[in-house]
Amino acid sequence: MSNSLDSYLVLSGLLFAIGTFGFLGRRNAISMLMAIELMLNAVNLSVLAFGAFVPPLNTHAAVIALLVIAVAAAEATVGLAIVMAIYRNRKTPLVDEYDAMRE
Amino acid sequence: MPIGDSIPLVGIRWDDVLFVVLSAALLGSALLVVTLRDIIRCGLALTASFASLAGIYVLLGNPLIAATQVLVYIGAISVLILFAVMLTQTKNAPVRLAFQTQAWFAALAAVVIAVVIAATVLATTWPSGGRRIWTVTADVAHLLFHEYVLPFEVVSVLLTAAVVGGVFLARREVKRPEEDRS
Amino acid sequence: MTFLVPFIPLLPLAGFAFTGLFGRAMGRDSHRIAVWAVVASWVVAMVVAFGALTHTLGFGEAGAGIKLWTWIPATGFQADMGFFVDALTACLLIVVTTIGMLVHIYSIGYMAHDPGKWRFFAYLNLFMFSMLMLVLADNFLLVFAGWELVGLCSYLLIGFWYPRRSAAEAAKKAFLVNRVGDMGFALGIMAVWTQLGTLNMQDVFHKFGSIPHEWQIAIALLIFCGAVGKSAQFPLHVWLPDAMEGPTPVSALIHAATMVNAGVYLVARCNPIFGAAPEVMVVVAAVGIFTAILAASIAFTQTDIKRVLAYSTLSQLGYMFASLGVGAWTAAIFHLMSHGFFKGLLFLDSGSVIHAVDGEQDMRKMGGLSRKIPITYATMLIGSVAISGVPPLAGFFSKDEILGGAFKNGFLWVWALGFAVAGMTAFYMFRLMGMTFWGPSHVDPEKEHHIHESPPTMTRPLILLAIPAVFLGLVIGFPPESGLLHQWLAPVFEATIAASGRTEAAYNFFGIDGVLAIVTTGLVAIAIVVAWRLFGVEMPSIGLRAQPRPDRVRELSARPGLAELYRGSSNKWWFDDLNHQIFVVWGGRLAAAAFWFDRTIVDGTVNGIGVVTTGAGIRLRRVQTGRVQNYALGIALGLIAMAAAYLLIAVR
Repeated sequence: MSNSLDSYLVLSGLLFAIGTFGFLGRRNAISMLMAIELMLNAVNLSVLAFGAFVPPLNTHAAVIALLVIAVAAAEATVGLAIVMAIYRNRKTPLVDEYDAMRE
Repeated sequence: MPIGDSIPLVGIRWDDVLFVVLSAALLGSALLVVTLRDIIRCGLALTASFASLAGIYVLLGNPLIAATQVLVYIGAISVLILFAVMLTQTKNAPVRLAFQTQAWFAALAAVVIAVVIAATVLATTWPSGGRRIWTVTADVAHLLFHEYVLPFEVVSVLLTAAVVGGVFLARREVKRPEEDRS
Repeated sequence: MTFLVPFIPLLPLAGFAFTGLFGRAMGRDSHRIAVWAVVASWVVAMVVAFGALTHTLGFGEAGAGIKLWTWIPATGFQADMGFFVDALTACLLIVVTTIGMLVHIYSIGYMAHDPGKWRFFAYLNLFMFSMLMLVLADNFLLVFAGWELVGLCSYLLIGFWYPRRSAAEAAKKAFLVNRVGDMGFALGIMAVWTQLGTLNMQDVFHKFGSIPHEWQIAIALLIFCGAVGKSAQFPLHVWLPDAMEGPTPVSALIHAATMVNAGVYLVARCNPIFGAAPEVMVVVAAVGIFTAILAASIAFTQTDIKRVLAYSTLSQLGYMFASLGVGAWTAAIFHLMSHGFFKGLLFLDSGSVIHAVDGEQDMRKMGGLSRKIPITYATMLIGSVAISGVPPLAGFFSKDEILGGAFKNGFLWVWALGFAVAGMTAFYMFRLMGMTFWGPSHVDPEKEHHIHESPPTMTRPLILLAIPAVFLGLVIGFPPESGLLHQWLAPVFEATIAASGRTEAAYNFFGIDGVLAIVTTGLVAIAIVVAWRLFGVEMPSIGLRAQPRPDRVRELSARPGLAELYRGSSNKWWFDDLNHQIFVVWGGRLAAAAFWFDRTIVDGTVNGIGVVTTGAGIRLRRVQTGRVQNYALGIALGLIAMAAAYLLIAVR
């Protein structure tokens, strides 16, 4: 099982699905950000899986994964900064209340 | 003393055992992240999932990335998240449902996504070699600083911008003194 | 001298414009311009008529066409402003302008105290213009224009006292019923255009033989339709009795002597068209004679003096159409002329009577007036004798020619009905005379001392009209069928008469013609005597005296067979009720249904679309929650759908 590409890819897909559920179904903004991190990690996993099983892609996969991690870090930073700024304004971290775009 | 490829009596390969254990840990902690009500516990579960992912990366023959994962994700991002959680706790937070009203639809969407991805993956014949390949760090470094040097530099700029932006967004309002009327 | 022709209608038109613009300011003198305009027009018309009839003064044998300008110069369609004058036109000109002039003079006295006098004379002049345009026109479109205009003037003049509700409604009724006929006429004109490509009447007549017979019948029927409307034949006769709401000069001019004759003139003018469609001629005769007997039967029981005369007009018009239908063309025009004069006389007389008894029109409240208003009485007596067909007055000759023509051309049923109508006419006219002039007076005591003869402006026209009523027949109709009128009108009708294949035997008093004349005169005499015995007579100068016997009248009208006839007659045979039921009641229901449909279904649909749109908008608005997670869910679902689709396609 650990020698087949499919299992890693399915694992990555499951992780991505869990991340989607977390993103769409939770109220707290920070929970949503955590779910986003999960999704990014799922993608990383699938890239590395391809790198492990398809020889021409080996080193490229590693580079890509590295860059993705860096970008994810930047995104987490900015996202949390935004949540904190909104929290200071609205006094709530619940995205239900962020409905200024409501009609 | 080498252990050998598989568990003695049962004949299951250690690789597979590791894979199963790590996957279970990963999925389990991921599920906890999205279902627990207390955010702090979610954060801790997130850390656990990062850790099991690092293990899987090693299994895939990529210790470099595993190390990076531990350093960045567990060392920086998890801490960041935990700090943010602490700073946005509302006092007397009422016990509400942690989930949205649309959570059922979200669950449905998630299930469908999982099924679709799994179906697609299983139906495709990948040009896979059937064996995990060990990644040579020196080659990675070579690639990073030759072909991928531009994305590398861009990401560094991005990180700078993220830092500056994050600091700016999250700082307190600075009160100015009144302008004197002249 | 043909240049004079345009002046005939032009002078009344100028009179209308002048009186319309300045009449109100002129006050008591507002009638002067109008009357002088009509007198001048009469002079010119007489000159033109003389020329046309004697073929002198520039008027040729086949008539003279005068084209003023091209009215509508469109490609493929052309209509001219042009006139055509021949002997037929001349006869009509004589009738229209003479009676028109006398009515204008009469109106000076009749309308003297009416504050709307200037309007009256303006409308009368407009009417003269319209009627003269109709008569003089040389193409169908111009005839139609005049046709419509006389309808308009009729409306304006019937409803002259518009504050009175019955007058306004009568005017509307006249216009609407006329409209029905006019629509047929318009369709006929369109048919002429599409089939023949020209609207000039003489051209149409020359080419008429070249179109298929079905079209000839159709065109003839449609043109007759217009005549039925304008001349109040069955079933479009219902407007004429109600038209008596207008002032009496209006009734005299329009509804006795000129407008209603327009239909007869039209059919006579279009005699080549009708000659080519003998089937339609039978229809014309049938409609005409049926109207004649229908109207005469109603006149038996009417109590309003003007209504009796109105139904009498209907009846005589029916005679004229019957005459046209059986092919006695000249006889019809003869009757048109003589009827114009004596019916005009009778109407003006009735106006004088009404003037004398201070507005009373019910004959049951008159009586014994012969002693009090002698001139009116004498002229009315002359008129009655004339219309009854007593020789040697005008009516005898014209009626006799019609009946003779019917008999000799083989239309025995027309002759029989016409014969009966002659007797009925004499009866109801002398009933009218008896109730109005003879016997004891039933006049309202208050009005009795005011009874006075009318002023000279009113009595002089009466006398002037009485003259042709007496002598017209002898002058232009004697000897019968070969007199002056026949000579004049021969060129107009000979083509049609020749085409019909009938050769007219010369009038032979000692043959069938004499027998018919004597028989008719006999019936008339009997009818008059019966009327005298029931309604009284007082002519001391010739020793005739009889008392009216109302009890006998009541007894007769109560008899089993006659009672129903009496009731039907006085209810005008329920035609007005029938029209009311069909058009007002059922038409009203149809209109209500259409209104319901429009309001509920059409408006409902339109409003419904609005409601649906607004409702959908309100409901769909809820999608815009402003929450990113909801939008993200939408994105995810869309993505899933696309992925699933691709998957399915790939699997397939």
